[in-house]
Amino acid sequence: MSISPEVSFETLRHELPNAAAYAAAAGLDLDDTSLSAQDLRLYLRLANAQGEHFYVEFHCADYPLYPPTVEFVSPDRTERGTMRLYPQGFHATPCICMRYNRKAYGERGGPHGDWRLLDWRLPTGNGIAIDTLCLMISDLHSKIRQSTGRMA
Amino acid sequence: MNNQEVHAVTQEKAAEHVRIVCFRVQTPRGLWSMTEPKDATKRPEYPVTTKIEQVILDVRSVFKFVEQDSKYTLLRGDEILEPQRTLASYKIEDHTLLVLSVQGGNA
Repeated sequence: MSISPEVSFETLRHELPNAAAYAAAAGLDLDDTSLSAQDLRLYLRLANAQGEHFYVEFHCADYPLYPPTVEFVSPDRTERGTMRLYPQGFHATPCICMRYNRKAYGERGGPHGDWRLLDWRLPTGNGIAIDTLCLMISDLHSKIRQSTGRMA
Repeated sequence: MNNQEVHAVTQEKAAEHVRIVCFRVQTPRGLWSMTEPKDATKRPEYPVTTKIEQVILDVRSVFKFVEQDSKYTLLRGDEILEPQRTLASYKIEDHTLLVLSVQGGNA
């Protein structure tokens, strides 16, 4: 099952003003300059407790039917998903092990065979349901600003 | 210090206790301000003696962040505002923009 890229694009366009306002207020750099229906990718730069920068890609194909694929990438975006691009504190796969990340699901090769992609808006544990781009940004921001160092 | 000076200092302290600040809080569900969201039951105007934890409780209430097991933190830029401290201790001024950081549970 999939949805039209135009639907994903319009959903993101609807969510972006709040996500951009949040990122700006939190001192994060959200880059949506290449976002289009043909290229459903957004980028976010965050810093850990030592001021070291990390770069996250949100690949939003089929969003919001399915969650985005959320991955750490290099500053020039040519390298992705390697341990040295990850801050400490994430799953050693390496993976951002949250329901809002498509990569975390067993059916996509991730560690969670117990999750179903269609249920991605459910909360993890007893926490809040992270069901918007802005909440994903806030969750990542909260985790990374407390971390120190890289995974490798 | 003479009696007149003591009186002046006392008055200054009293004024500080009742001073009200109006600020803004950006949350993952929108901005909390004196005008937004339109249907908010509370507004971010507080005596400077108010503790940060009260602001967190109120902004959570306005935006219905009801889950107890999530982590809610109020930030000013990179600075974490400690829940037990007051607005005055951080010198929060009118129009200051704060951020409510929300962290979900861990898998």
